Amino acid sequence: MKRYLTFLADCVRLSFVGDWRYHAWMTLLTVVALIGLFAWCQQLVSGLVTTGLTDQVSWGLYIANFTYLVGLAAAAAMLVIPVYVYRNMHLHDVVIFGELLAVAVIIMCLLFVTVDLGRPDRFHHLFLRFNFPISMLTWDVIALNGYLLLNLHICGYLLYCAYCGRTPARIFYVPFVFVAIVWAVSIHTVTAFLYVGLGGRPFWNSAIIAPRFLASAFAAGPAFIILTLQIVRRYTRHQVSDDALLVLRRIVQVAMIINIFLLGCEVFTEFYTDSAHLASARYLYFGAGDRAALVPWIWSAIGLNLLATLLLVLPTSRGLPWLNLACVLAIVGIWIEKGMGLIVPAFVPTPLGEVVEYHPTLREVLVCLGIWAFGLLLYTIFVRISVPVLAGQLTYEKRFGRPHAKQDLPPSRTSTGVNP
Amino acid sequence: MTANHPSHPDSAVASAASRGRFVPLVLLIAAAALWAGPWEFTNPAAPSAPTPAWAIDPTPVRRPKLRPEIDLAGFTYHCSDCHRHFASPPETVRSLTQHRHIELRHGINTRCFNCHHLTNRDALVDDWGREIPFDQPQLVCAKCHGPVYRDWLNGSHGRTNGYWDASAGRRDRRKCIECHDPHVPPFPPMPPAPGPNTLRMGDQSPVDHHGGTPNPLRPPGRGAHAEPHLTPPPPPPAGPPNMEDRQ
Amino acid sequence: MSTDHRRDGPTPPAGREMTRRGFFRKGVAAAAGVSAVAAALSPLRHLAPGDIPSVEEFLRKHYKEMTPEEKNAVLARIAAAVEKRFGVRPSLLDPPPLDGVEFVYALNISRCIGCRKCVHACVAENNQSRSPEIQYIRVLKMEKGSIDVETSDHHYAPPVVPDQDSYYMPVQCHQCAKPPCVKVCPVEATWQEPDGVTVIDYDWCIGCRYCEAACPYWARRFNFAEPEIPAGELNPVMGLLSNRPRAKGVMEKCTYCLHRTRRGLMPACVEVCPTGSRKFGNVLDPDSEVSYILQHKRVFVLKQDVGTLPRFFYYFDERGSRYHEPIAPVRSEEPT
Repeated sequence: MKRYLTFLADCVRLSFVGDWRYHAWMTLLTVVALIGLFAWCQQLVSGLVTTGLTDQVSWGLYIANFTYLVGLAAAAAMLVIPVYVYRNMHLHDVVIFGELLAVAVIIMCLLFVTVDLGRPDRFHHLFLRFNFPISMLTWDVIALNGYLLLNLHICGYLLYCAYCGRTPARIFYVPFVFVAIVWAVSIHTVTAFLYVGLGGRPFWNSAIIAPRFLASAFAAGPAFIILTLQIVRRYTRHQVSDDALLVLRRIVQVAMIINIFLLGCEVFTEFYTDSAHLASARYLYFGAGDRAALVPWIWSAIGLNLLATLLLVLPTSRGLPWLNLACVLAIVGIWIEKGMGLIVPAFVPTPLGEVVEYHPTLREVLVCLGIWAFGLLLYTIFVRISVPVLAGQLTYEKRFGRPHAKQDLPPSRTSTGVNP
Repeated sequence: MTANHPSHPDSAVASAASRGRFVPLVLLIAAAALWAGPWEFTNPAAPSAPTPAWAIDPTPVRRPKLRPEIDLAGFTYHCSDCHRHFASPPETVRSLTQHRHIELRHGINTRCFNCHHLTNRDALVDDWGREIPFDQPQLVCAKCHGPVYRDWLNGSHGRTNGYWDASAGRRDRRKCIECHDPHVPPFPPMPPAPGPNTLRMGDQSPVDHHGGTPNPLRPPGRGAHAEPHLTPPPPPPAGPPNMEDRQ
Repeated sequence: MSTDHRRDGPTPPAGREMTRRGFFRKGVAAAAGVSAVAAALSPLRHLAPGDIPSVEEFLRKHYKEMTPEEKNAVLARIAAAVEKRFGVRPSLLDPPPLDGVEFVYALNISRCIGCRKCVHACVAENNQSRSPEIQYIRVLKMEKGSIDVETSDHHYAPPVVPDQDSYYMPVQCHQCAKPPCVKVCPVEATWQEPDGVTVIDYDWCIGCRYCEAACPYWARRFNFAEPEIPAGELNPVMGLLSNRPRAKGVMEKCTYCLHRTRRGLMPACVEVCPTGSRKFGNVLDPDSEVSYILQHKRVFVLKQDVGTLPRFFYYFDERGSRYHEPIAPVRSEEPT
């Protein structure tokens, strides 16, 4: 027990240590997170009227970000599958960063849901009257929290074993890893079913929503990880091979192609049929009269996604600059498509045919930025801790054991101690 | 190990701290800005407009006396007070010399004595010339308006106020002339109560929905936004649209 | 400085004392951090006392689990709060559903003239917020020949109604027999009562607005801000599950005025309708008006394909809306 508390204390201590760039980054994130907290406190005082939400468009930026981030969290499993199922050793040493990302991102998801609630002080009602299994929101609560606990256990166990200098016992993490693979797919499917099960919103009431969710998540998630791994490689001692990045590139490539195909399926079904159920899609792509706030967004998203897919298909994206560009395009394009392009149009027009447009307010945007900053803060701390611990730099022996521990470690490839 | 050794704790701590010296400053500036800045939130909801009293008034649009009386110059007279002295020519469609404010626009019903008793003006008349009392106007209307009368009896036409549960209280079925002026029966148009003005609803000017394939139900040139072809309605009442019957 | 410091932090020594300078620096940093967090939390100082739940509010049970004593305590607490806020002593009851009653609503679209008096009577009866404006009933001006709500106009404001080329369809909560809103609520804050009315426990709702997304008829409303009701317009006859004043952050909707209808009265919208287009009653009573309508009139429901089985029926009879055209030409010549 004392060892565990020391581990936690060392993690906390280590997260405050770094060079000036680290401090600047963390301070920036802290300030943005605090501004977001301030905006949310104003929301607590005045109500959700501080946002741009209305009875007509009752879900907006918060739920859009939530949806996108659940996809990112699910995609952490995309690193696990090649290593544990297909024994692809290129990603062997970076799996843990995917899972740490999943932890940070799931916390962001839970925060986004919390700030969207009208009465967060009544959170405990979820434990007293839980409408499971009928309400899909209850499934989502179980799925997200379960996924968080799974990943916390896996990462925590591996890090703690490395801290103690022990080889982790397979029985304590490998079964959980396999459960996490299935669970990752399920969290995003359950989130999709939140929307799909509503007969009153024909824009959502389609079977293709769940597959599109997964395809876009498995494109955006690994793209995000490609970028963060390069940052890890540049700023820490941890080695990340280019082969790992190329395996991830392949995943993003295939997922983007599937995403574009599914987009084509959706567009055909809506516009060829030309029925009255088309109203939301028509508003999204072409606007309703002069109310066309979403039109530039969706066409930008489609352009970004197509360009990203093209770049990924071409061999030029084997080179890192082009790969990074493609990843950024994919991340932004999918964010727009899932947020503006999925959540908001289902509310326009309303089930009674009224067209009220949604414009997020400054406070709403600040809360979102605050949560993103907090999530990045958490992820930076996780990486900051895990790299030295897994490299054997920070162990219990070094703290309390032999006083003159080895200072010079071989600069060669370090092992995370994980053996699939 | 000297203090200049890179792994010496003191130099490490000191160097780490010196690189982060700006951090407390930045946090304090942020704290001051958040605490003291002009970040008050103003509610964008439109201030509440008072509900016009007539919009929630459940009084029927007409309040007929249901009695054969007329108010003239401050006095109330029975119809028979005059009409027992004057006989009316029975079968002429001609304009009235008295009661000139009454205009009969009742479709093909252009004969006063279809409803009014020929000799006893304190009563209305049925198909066989028998009297119908003035407080039972629905029996007169029923002579011609059979289906509507049937619906009125069964409750699907006309106003029902009070209690839906007859065992709890009185179910108040309104009579025909509490909505319909017997001489100009079409229900009069009225100004609508204010429309919705919900939070952040934006511009709600009408959008033209008539693009695309022409709809056979809506021939060109005559759409929902054409001018309504009303015969001249009475001017919109400034106050409640409840017009007392002037018999 | 060693470049290694960019990659790892230094391993803190065991048992070494911090220097005074280091301690001071860390103290300043900690103080700055705490003050920044406090500043971020500073808007909470404007929280109204009613916003912070009291212990008994926090520990309150779900409506369905409350004993009669607990319910009476809740009623007393809410009545006292209303009196304190509005200066009006309310009569706050919780009328139980009547046996053998299933409420059904019928609306005659041949007769509705679109005057919107029902909208405003409902607002007055149910203590709805005036700013931001909440109205349970929305009157749709529909184009002739179309049942498609997307061609409707909600914001018509002509000098007089009705418009000859339109018909009017007011929409409010249909108290569906298979309510999608009840299905999706994660905390069971909304449920259907035995008399068919779907109610909301305003003290249980967490404000997630999933029900608002699920409703096919756009019948549910959310309090985005603290509702504003002029004290002079407050209706003091209140029901716990219907028209007692709500707080921000919770949902609300039409309840068929259950504080009235469970005592046998008509809902406010039926009372005020000038043309008698609105019909209300107990469909289990074969002699009721609504039973007659369902049996004998041409009745339809909105969005039947969604399968929610609404208890709100639109019907029409033989007369259209061209009120001012004579049924047949006026004969101007005298009979022979």
